[in-house]
Amino acid sequence: MPYWYYDKKDLLTTPSSRDGITTEAENRYRKEGARFIIDTGSKMDLGYNTVATGVVYFHRFYMFHSFKTFPRYITACCCLFLAGKVEETPKKCKDIIKVAKSLLTEQKFASFGDDPKEEVMTLERILLQTIKFDLQVEHPYGYLLKYAKCLKGDKAKLQKMVQMAWTFVNDSLCTTLCLQWEPEVIAVALMFLAGKLSKFEVVDWNGRVPKHTAWWDMFVEDVTMELLEDICHQVLDLYSPQTQPPGAESPPGGAARALPKNDKRPSVTPPASVSPVAVNTNKPTVTPVKNGADIKLEPPKMDPMRFTYPAYPGLAPYPPVYSAPPPNIPPPPRLPIPTGPPPPLVYSEPPPSRFPP
Amino acid sequence: MSDSSASSSKSAPLLSVNEVSGLFESAKKYEELNVIGTGAYGTVYKARDLLKGGQIVAMKKVKVALTEDGIPLSTLREIALLQQLGAYKHPNIVRLLDVCHGGNSLEREQQLVLFLVFEHVEQDLDSYLKRAPGPLADHRIRSMSFDILSGVDFLHSHRIVHRDLKPHNLLVASDGRVKLADFGLAKTYDKDMRLTSVVVTLWYRPPEVLLGVSYNTGVDVWSAGCVLAQLHTRTPLLPGASDSDQLHCIFRLIGRPPRAEWPENVSIVIDSFPEYPPQDFADVFPRIHPHALDLIQRMLVFDPAKRLTALDCLEHPYFTDEPLT
Repeated sequence: MPYWYYDKKDLLTTPSSRDGITTEAENRYRKEGARFIIDTGSKMDLGYNTVATGVVYFHRFYMFHSFKTFPRYITACCCLFLAGKVEETPKKCKDIIKVAKSLLTEQKFASFGDDPKEEVMTLERILLQTIKFDLQVEHPYGYLLKYAKCLKGDKAKLQKMVQMAWTFVNDSLCTTLCLQWEPEVIAVALMFLAGKLSKFEVVDWNGRVPKHTAWWDMFVEDVTMELLEDICHQVLDLYSPQTQPPGAESPPGGAARALPKNDKRPSVTPPASVSPVAVNTNKPTVTPVKNGADIKLEPPKMDPMRFTYPAYPGLAPYPPVYSAPPPNIPPPPRLPIPTGPPPPLVYSEPPPSRFPP
Repeated sequence: MSDSSASSSKSAPLLSVNEVSGLFESAKKYEELNVIGTGAYGTVYKARDLLKGGQIVAMKKVKVALTEDGIPLSTLREIALLQQLGAYKHPNIVRLLDVCHGGNSLEREQQLVLFLVFEHVEQDLDSYLKRAPGPLADHRIRSMSFDILSGVDFLHSHRIVHRDLKPHNLLVASDGRVKLADFGLAKTYDKDMRLTSVVVTLWYRPPEVLLGVSYNTGVDVWSAGCVLAQLHTRTPLLPGASDSDQLHCIFRLIGRPPRAEWPENVSIVIDSFPEYPPQDFADVFPRIHPHALDLIQRMLVFDPAKRLTALDCLEHPYFTDEPLT
């Protein structure tokens, strides 16, 4: 079975870097591709699992190919198309292309060629071979919920913390974290971060044994504080305004020489402006939590796929984040918690019963 | 895999993905040696993995019909499931090592040749039984039975129905352990791959499949029951010559079912069969341990709902009562 985790130095010597693309540019392409998958998926009402699977395919694909050979937006479309089928939420190729076209500038869409559908079909076979038909991908979301169920403390605060962690996981898709760490580790780190930021201090948990020094010792081994902080910073870096030098390398494949305005903005801009998709204002923005009632730790719906976080303007990039709460605790993310059954596309089947290995 | 040979045509504004697709036919890293078997749904080759020091593998070639939207969802789901199963490394399941494709086949544009690469096991149960100099020892039969049922239970616990269990795709490793092979892609086969020219053995087919009604995991329990019986006798239990003859064989053994159990919406009427009385299994299998007899009898029940499940079988006294006397 293929192994999909890389050292940081492997991430610096990718096919793109060998092809003359700087690491900064590659990371930007990865982020833009991931964002594009998220936006396209959101617009098509695809579930978070499908979107995340598509993004993981995308990141893996570019560990074997250069962004110069394969323009990122068509690859992104193909990844989402394949993920839709694998996660049993299929969308027609032509519909994905239609949405893609609506989200991209004409110049960027030009990279899809004369027959976009045919290009995606051909690319599907290249993608499958590249990811070695390893189609089943696990994501941190399920682990977040699993871990949260074990933590003791104020239910409302816990819920708020889980929502925040959920958003961090969404955002982490724009980083290469899924190429560095298993979903369990990412879930622990981002829940740790959310706990710090939402002032939810975990003091006790179910299943605690004396040798545990932290709640995550129950779930993952050998996770150091350095590692957790490194992961958190990779996500937090997304929120720091990015300075794009004027002469920054343009994307390959004939895609925009002149970047549309949005590209230069930090991705933390509030959803309405950063996302080409209108935010559905009908959805409740405040989560009603019955006091004392057993909270349901069900996944929030699609909204969290956006960067719902305001920037942390006053935040120093390093330890202060952890040692002290930020000056302004961000408002709870706008994640409606479904009160009824979970969304159908999300849990279309019961979790498989685990067979002991 | 390197993309160094892929032209990075900076000058061309567009690079068609077609230009590089030919580079990724990684089926070429396997050298076909000889045909191991031709099944209803594809051909299995013995092959050499040229990248892994010539390791011998079993390579199953499956042709997949492409749809308007590329590779069918069912095929992708099943491959994903096979990969997932592989992660469990179950001792009674043959290991899937690799999946690759050979690009579009020449004959038909709208077809993709898939290669499922499995670990190679030299011997299957069919040849094992044929080569056996005499009856198998009771403890051998029991451990092989347990292996088969463990593998079936594992598949069922992952919602996979094998549907074609037979001695040919039960492999006997050098340590005597039995492994199930040739599972998965059942839906793919069903939709795209039905090859009428190839004769599929009917001997292990349960009545519900022969009657064309809906079926479930019970089919594998029936087939496993036939195989378990064969471990004792070393000859097929129900060697029918045709679909209808197979049903006659079945009813001659277990009796024609009561009218109430005959499924609805079946084109074959119950009166096409004489009122065969059930045979006494003790006469069919002389000298067999009563526990073994009881287990097989409870697996070969007409109504799938009344058949034991694979898990029930594993908990049967035949396996739990020690020692076997």
